[in-house]
Formats: sequence, structure tokens, C-alpha cells
Amino acid sequence: MFPFLVSEALRDLRRAGRVGLAAILLITLSLGALGCFWLLSLNLGRAVTQWRERLRVVAYLREEPKPAAVEDLVARVQALGGIQRVRYVSRAEALALLKRSLGPQASVVEQLPRNPLPASLELTPDEETATPEGTRALVQRLSALPEVEEVQGGAEWVESLAQWQRLFQLTGLGVGAVLALAAILTVTTATTLVLHVRRDEMEIMRLVGATETVIRLPLLLQGMAQGLLGAVVALVGLEGAYILLAPRVEPLLTLTLGLGRAVFLSTPQVALLLAGGAMLGALGGLLAKGRAEV
Amino acid sequence: MIRLHHVGKVFGSGPARRVALSDISFSVARGEFAVLNGPSGAGKTTLLRLIYREELPSEGEIEIAGIDVPALRRRQVPRLRRSIGIVFQDAKLLAGRTVFENIAFVLRVIGTPRKDITPRAFSALKAVGLSSRAQAYPKQLSQGEAQRASLARAIAKSPGLLLADEPTGNLDDDMADEILEVIREIWQRGTTVFLATHQAGLAAHLKRRTLTLAGGRLVKDEG
Repeated sequence: MFPFLVSEALRDLRRAGRVGLAAILLITLSLGALGCFWLLSLNLGRAVTQWRERLRVVAYLREEPKPAAVEDLVARVQALGGIQRVRYVSRAEALALLKRSLGPQASVVEQLPRNPLPASLELTPDEETATPEGTRALVQRLSALPEVEEVQGGAEWVESLAQWQRLFQLTGLGVGAVLALAAILTVTTATTLVLHVRRDEMEIMRLVGATETVIRLPLLLQGMAQGLLGAVVALVGLEGAYILLAPRVEPLLTLTLGLGRAVFLSTPQVALLLAGGAMLGALGGLLAKGRAEV
Repeated sequence: MIRLHHVGKVFGSGPARRVALSDISFSVARGEFAVLNGPSGAGKTTLLRLIYREELPSEGEIEIAGIDVPALRRRQVPRLRRSIGIVFQDAKLLAGRTVFENIAFVLRVIGTPRKDITPRAFSALKAVGLSSRAQAYPKQLSQGEAQRASLARAIAKSPGLLLADEPTGNLDDDMADEILEVIREIWQRGTTVFLATHQAGLAAHLKRRTLTLAGGRLVKDEG
């Protein structure tokens, strides 16, 4: 019976004609927009996570502590709370790091009369503290320590990146929702048209003893097929755009966000978009069913 | 096969109230051929619609093959309808499908196993003498052929009861005779037939038990 119902649904899809095509196009647009913003948000999200992990607060010390006092200082800083890890960087180590980062120009350092760099503590805030408010509070607590001269670091810019990510998410959802609503209405119209074309057929089906499921299921399947088709086209479009644009955008991403490469939607996310398309179409089919019963 | 007991049907209420049928009681035995006769507006179509539960009676009892028809829930109606073949004055064939496809479609939607569809459709077409027109579309058929196709569709599911609502209403005398002959053959193979017609002459010609309706009342039951 099911193959028959599917063949009837495909027959209905052909009957829906241009309105059916318009419905597929609108589903493609809505899921395409949603997918596009999803991709942007996904990659920004990766940048945010990456930068949150790299977030450091550096407390420069007035004087280099004696080796025996380092452990006590680190313990006191750790006790301030909100810190995942503390690393003591001696003046010598700081100079060595500077030399390494200067590379071929490292000889400049040799010409300095003495090591100008202070000793410092490099702190990695824990997940809860890696926010603008959290890091501000941490900076204040560190500044209160008598050994600390100056504190640098903050999460403001990472947070503004996160805000962009949220904005993309919301915009994607908003645009996707408006287009999805239009798509549902178009599928409903297409299915209602099919209902009118099928009126005689449905009357015969009822008279001969077909169950309501057999009568109605092709309409639902037709809506789902429209939705699925729209989702597939949207995904093909997104994948095409990704293959085309990713190599051109990746150098910029590396430069600005430190992201090695842009990623595409994962398999579960692709499956979710496909299911979303099928659901949009099915909803349109169901609404037409309701309309027909009024 | 058919039993009606003090059945009445009223449409509307208040000033728009119209009594379509009143106090109808009769039985048609299994294997019987009965004719329901009466002028237009007498309530024949309403009575048939009550039998296949397109309408519910306002009062009284209806039993078809032992099934209490008014008591059926909506989802149980298909089971009743599968045991009834229905033909109308208008053949109601689906324009976009061939004669064979019209019959096969009905068999498929009631869940007939795939392997049985073609033999059953052709057997029904053979029974109405339309095998050679299996691949024709409805618009290519004469009115008589269309009505025979409609009969084939009705009997393909092997119903115990055939309801015919003015099956010859659109046909000239020769074609009407042809259709009546086909219906008679269907009856002779064991199907109970209940045929509604407004043509008194046709009822007499059939020489079968005739129930006469007038003004929504059963006024005669003879033969």
C-alpha cells in the first residue's frame, strides 16, 4: 500500500504545478537563509571558543620574587578564585620568550644594557570567569595584591565576537522563520489546489471504502516531498557556495579570527535541515487538510 | 441483507425543516433483486445514502448484512462501504485514468493485494462486456460504456450488495436495456441488487419486487 500512496503523492506533486514549484523554491530560500546564517554562526562560534580557551590575564610583578616565594605567591593568586591555571614567568624566561618571538631580529635584545622585562603571572581564567564581568573582577582582585604592579587582559573583544555570533543566530532564525511561514502558506495553497483537483477522486475513494489515512496520506506525503526537495536544493546550494567561497575566505579568517579553515555543517546538522524541510512541507499539507475539512 | 425499521430523515430545523423520509420499514433478503421506484424528490437517493451511511437517519434502525449502520463510528464506515458496490446516474469515472486504471485504483485504495488487482479488474470488465475498452479513457466511451465501466468498478471488489441510483437515467432505451441486462447478470451471480429509478415503466419491465416511495413515505411494496 505504501508504494501506491507514494506514487499518488508524486502524482499530486505534478498536479500542483507552478504553485508546487513556488512552494519548493520558498522552502529552498528559507532553509538556504537559515543554513547560511547557521554556517556563519558555526564558524564564529568556533572562533569564540578558540579565543575563550586562549584568553589570558597577565599580572606584572613589582619585583621578581625569590624562588622560594614563587610557590606561595602562585598559591595566593590561585586562591583568588575563577582561575583555571597560573603560570609564573620569570624575567629571564620573559626575555627568552621575547627573543624567540622576534626570530631573526633577536639580536636587538642582546644590545639592551639590562633585562627590562618584569616577572609576571600568566593566568587562564576558568569558563565562568572568561566573560567581560568575570575578567574585570579578576583584574581588580589581582590589582589589590601588593606584589602586583599592573594587570593586563580582558574578555571584551571575545565577548563582542560572541555577540556577533548571537546576532547571526538570531538573524538566521528570524529570516528563516519569516520565509518558513511563507513556505508553509505556499505548500498549503499548493495542497489545497491539489485537493480541488482530487475532489472527484476523494469522493470515489470514500464511496468505495478507502480509509481516511489512505485518502489523506498522499497529501501529507506530497507536502513532505516538496519540503524535502526544497531542503535538498538549499543544501546543494550551500555546499556549492561553501566549496566556491571557503578557499577565498579562509586566509581572511586566519588573519582576523585565527581560524585555520571554515567548516561546513556536520552530518547531524544536515539531517536536521532535511528534517526541517520535510516538516515544513508536512505542516503545509496538514494545514490544507484542515482547510479542506472546514 | 437490508433491513430498515421505522426510519425517518429530516433535514434542517425551524422554518427550513424538511421531512425527506418518514416511517420507512422494509427488508431485502440476501440475493434478492428489489427496485425502489418513485418520482423525483420522493426520497430515493436519500434512502440509498442512509444505506451506505453518507447520511444518518433522524430516527429508526438500519441494518446492512447484520451491521447496525447508524451505530458505526466514522472510522468503521469504510468497512461497510467495502461490502457495498455503488453506481450512480453519472458514471463518476476519473477522467485522467483509463477504464482499467479506474478499476485498479479502487482495488488499490481498499488494500487489495497487488497480484490480485489485474485479474480482478479484468474479470469485472469481462462481466460487463467491456474487456476490449480497458485502455480507453472515459471521454472516449459512449454513455452506455461509461456506465458499464462504472458497474465493473462497483463489482470488482466483489460486494454482497449492489446499490444503483438511477443507473439508466442518462441513457436511451437500448443502452438502458443493456445496462439492466448487465445488472441482472450480476444479480444472477449472487449479488443482492437494490436499484432506484424514477421510471415506473422500467420498474415494471424488470418484473421484480418494487417498493414505491412518494413524498418520503413507502406507499407500496409489491411483487
